Amino acid sequence: MTDALPVVPNPAQGRASRRKRLGPVLANVALVAVLLFVLFPIVWLVQMSLRPDEDILGYQLLFTPTLVHYTSLNESKFLHSFLNSVVSSCLSTAVALVIGTPAAYVLSRWRLKSRRKIAMWILSTRMAPQITFTIPFFLFFRLVGLSDTVWGLALIYLTFNLALVIWMMRSFFDAVPRALEEAAWLDGCGIWNAFLRITLPLTAPGLAAVAVLCFIFSWNDFFYALILTRTNAMTAPVAIINFMQYEGWEWGKMAAGGTLVMLPVVLFTVLVRKWLVSGLMAGSVKD
Amino acid sequence: MAAAVAATDRGYSVTPRQRLALLGGLLPAMVLLAALTLAPALYLFVVSLTPATPTNPSSLTDFSAPAQNYLSALADERFTESLWVQLKLSASTVIAQTVLGLGVALLLDRRARLVQALRTIFLIPMVLPPIVAALIWKILYTPDVSPLHRVLAAVHLPVSSLITNPHTALWAIAFADTWEWFPFTMLIILAALQVVPREPVEAAKVDGARPLQLFWYVVLPFIRPAIVVAALFRLIDSIKAFPLIYVLTSGGPGTATQVTNYYAFTQAFNYAYWGYASAIAVMLTAGVFALSWLVSAVGTRSSAHD
Repeated sequence: MTDALPVVPNPAQGRASRRKRLGPVLANVALVAVLLFVLFPIVWLVQMSLRPDEDILGYQLLFTPTLVHYTSLNESKFLHSFLNSVVSSCLSTAVALVIGTPAAYVLSRWRLKSRRKIAMWILSTRMAPQITFTIPFFLFFRLVGLSDTVWGLALIYLTFNLALVIWMMRSFFDAVPRALEEAAWLDGCGIWNAFLRITLPLTAPGLAAVAVLCFIFSWNDFFYALILTRTNAMTAPVAIINFMQYEGWEWGKMAAGGTLVMLPVVLFTVLVRKWLVSGLMAGSVKD
Repeated sequence: MAAAVAATDRGYSVTPRQRLALLGGLLPAMVLLAALTLAPALYLFVVSLTPATPTNPSSLTDFSAPAQNYLSALADERFTESLWVQLKLSASTVIAQTVLGLGVALLLDRRARLVQALRTIFLIPMVLPPIVAALIWKILYTPDVSPLHRVLAAVHLPVSSLITNPHTALWAIAFADTWEWFPFTMLIILAALQVVPREPVEAAKVDGARPLQLFWYVVLPFIRPAIVVAALFRLIDSIKAFPLIYVLTSGGPGTATQVTNYYAFTQAFNYAYWGYASAIAVMLTAGVFALSWLVSAVGTRSSAHD
């Protein structure tokens, strides 16, 4: 629409070119400021966990790091809670993958009329406030004796993990050409045999990413664990909060616990960064 | 269920036996998902019609006054006040996160090498276990241990604790929430920015459009759907904010930071008014679903544009 307009020399061009040189500099300064804003709080937590008790509030850059807070965690059953987190997250991830992956494959290969409805359902489970599920599960667990067990936690984590697996794996299966498995069928291979031998291996990277996302989301849970566990199945996030409330203000110990809980997530994030946002938005983008 | 799987398999010849096999793969997941999500949601609604509380075992099946909890909620000042607190928290965090996310996304756009490295770093706050994010801000907001309070005191501008002051507590939470979640809006907007076609941008530049005009008239129309979807997602999640509030203020001081979700939590698990808390949770869920329907509508329209 503007092709016909001649390019008129701009009287403000001198100013503009100076601004052009200043612009990138200002942009970079702003980026560094944002970077500091993001990183400083995290770095502060980590350095606090390494500072000796008598200097816990210090802010000199040079100090002799100590692992005393980490070893004291060992004495306070934190390890037990940490293991509970590992077990409940892994268990829930495994079940979600085993049950969700075949369903995702079927939804990818079979153009169901109710696809949109299923998409909406999956989006709703991601959107629903946790309290929606917590009250019924709390009453149900009391009745069947699943309160304060890692089994119960793994079960309630399926509410988001199952939907996540179905949604994300479906898009990975969509990307695998059907010709391969159809050829296998002609050779007399059953549907699920062809799926296991041909389609599933081709989506292995996607499967790994989904597994990591499920693990992170279960690992990060605080609300369900706070309400549905007491002492037996208490997870690491709840244990950290208990340092705050029952054992006085042991900042070093809390910082050490926080650092330990954050570590696996940060490491995994680097692995799955490409899929993280679609994982967080499961159900809403593209059909 | 059988009607739901009556399929239209596009040019894909599936024998009846294969169809049965496919059904066998789909059904377990659908049944489990229904048992884990639909059944509890229905049961929540059922409980909301009773005066359920643990001291009276028969109260779980007492349907003599089904609307009582809903009527009580409307008359409950703490409930209506919690909606107001929720509105303030949601509005402030969604606006702050959208503006900051958009700003940083614009800064990062077209800086290919920087983007790769910084994008991963900016991911960290939002994948951090929320409880760790809450612990970090507890440290930063507690005057005795906070480096920020110490710096302010050193330059003779001492600030008393922000989270124990009813006038500032909510904004302190909003600030921490923005730190945690602006990367989410940033990443979505950045992804949209990177697929903005170059031709119209170049053409506008040749015509002498100033940066602000370029953004407003050329770039913004392309990324508007992404901004709306990101903001709606944050709006929905802001209704569920819990760990920050639990750790920083426990809803206090007084009721200054008691959002609706937190109020339902205290009613259910501190006071064991299960029926009443369920009614609040039902209303909260209805509100969230209405908003997610909006996300779905906007998301479908924006992907149809591609």
